[in-house]
Amino acid sequence: MSEMMRNRLMLAAAIFLAAIYLFPLYWMYITALKTGSAMFATPPQFWPSDPQWQIYGEVWQSRNMGRYLFNSLVIAFGAVSLICVLGVGCAYVLARYRNVWVDIGLFLILMLQVLPASLMITPIFVGFSQIGLLASPRFAVILAIAAKSMPFFVVLVRATFMSVPQELEEAALVDGNSRVGAFWHIVLPLARNGILVSAILIFMQAFGEFVYSKSIIQAVELQPASVGLNSFMGPNTNEWNNIMAYATMYVTPILAIFVLLQRRIVSGLTSGALK
Amino acid sequence: MNNVPPRKRDVAMVFQTYALYPHMTVEQNLTYSLRIRGVSKAEMKKAAAEVAATTGLSELLGRYPRELSGGQRQRVAMSRAIIRNPKAFLFDEPLSNLDAALRVHMRKEIRMLHDRLGATSVYVTHDQVEAMTMADHVVVMRDGIIEQQGRPLDLYDRPANKFVAGFIGSPAMNFIPATVGQDGLSLVVHVGEPQTIVMDRALEPGRSVFAGLRPEHLHAADAGEGTFRFPVGIVETTGSATYISTATTPEITIVDTTRRSIRSGDVIELSIRPSDVHVFDAQTGMRL
Repeated sequence: MSEMMRNRLMLAAAIFLAAIYLFPLYWMYITALKTGSAMFATPPQFWPSDPQWQIYGEVWQSRNMGRYLFNSLVIAFGAVSLICVLGVGCAYVLARYRNVWVDIGLFLILMLQVLPASLMITPIFVGFSQIGLLASPRFAVILAIAAKSMPFFVVLVRATFMSVPQELEEAALVDGNSRVGAFWHIVLPLARNGILVSAILIFMQAFGEFVYSKSIIQAVELQPASVGLNSFMGPNTNEWNNIMAYATMYVTPILAIFVLLQRRIVSGLTSGALK
Repeated sequence: MNNVPPRKRDVAMVFQTYALYPHMTVEQNLTYSLRIRGVSKAEMKKAAAEVAATTGLSELLGRYPRELSGGQRQRVAMSRAIIRNPKAFLFDEPLSNLDAALRVHMRKEIRMLHDRLGATSVYVTHDQVEAMTMADHVVVMRDGIIEQQGRPLDLYDRPANKFVAGFIGSPAMNFIPATVGQDGLSLVVHVGEPQTIVMDRALEPGRSVFAGLRPEHLHAADAGEGTFRFPVGIVETTGSATYISTATTPEITIVDTTRRSIRSGDVIELSIRPSDVHVFDAQTGMRL
């Protein structure tokens, strides 16, 4: 088989697999626009014959989505800020010092990543209620998400810091700067891309977070969009078009960000791994 | 000095990898130390322009390090050190990443720079030619221990031990196992057949030593006039000099500048002045 034939075959396989993977997304966009009867038609329609555009406005109004999305943003921004402030320093130390304790610390950090949110929520809930954190439930969720996502952030940013040559820092020290000054002037600007990418990934995670928000936030006016989406669900759920319209409005902004920054995100994830 | 943090030492350093700040332009790289000291913008600009003029970087001030060639980066690294006007310079093998021609050129430039600025410079290198050509004072170190220090020619003329003798000079000094002769003034060298050379100092007869003979001190002599004879192995011609390796164990290298016709397989006679014969103890390697 010639080289070109094989390449084409590989491309076809890749497109096919991508199509399977992206089909649910397509189905979400399509279903949102269907009428009630078209939704349940067999065989299913792959393109709505009578698109219902007004559904977005209706769902936004009736579900008060503005408030939900605002809460999601508050939680996501809060978690990202907290993680950045605490995680950057942690990652820097782990990148610059090499000894047994650092290795143990790194191992523990990776261990944290293993524990699933649905397991952690019970002890976190009990603990937070003991110290009265449940009185400010959005902050409690921010804390919980920060704790959950911190390892991921630290590991990524550590790799970024390790790709910054130590000699640059030494040069800054010789040039008369302090350790802290060298960090701010030299290391941080050079690691900026990696930190930004990690922060965006964390933001997207936090924006869609569900388990902690659902368990900790009781008041409807403080709940994020993920919990709002869940409130559709009941024993006799059949308003799929509304659900899909809600999901579309929830997901599309994140998707847009990802598509726009996709190149930087991928290069940021691999920088540090490759010289 | 070990307990003084780097920023308080007033020492400028040129790194082997240059360690230029990749996110800053050449000008920002140069003036970084001034910025930390709180020098005004106008003064920084002036200082950068002055230094850049002397190192030929004036055209490149707006560029980023990644847009420069190796030699240009090297000059930026040096300019960054010069602009501070420090008490001392530290060069850590600054030329080892350059190609041979550029290295010879930069060697001279650094030396000229040193003469102009007059600041103490410590220059780390493993290239003995750089050490010999640039230094006022050479310190030869091995495994962190000082083997010998002094002026370059002192190290060349009177190496303290075999290590220094072998390190300084190119091609390297020949070491031949030898025994001090009965008169105490001659050496019986064990290379090929035992042969005798005269030295200019007296040692106890029968002592086993190494004779150190520099390739450029061994002169091919006319038949019957040499002190000793060797069969010729390989002849390499560079134009200015001819490198002759003998077909003996240990091999002996001779640098001949007379352009006499010598071919592989010939037997040549060599002479050496007694004052050019170095003698090292066989066990300790120290100069005798």
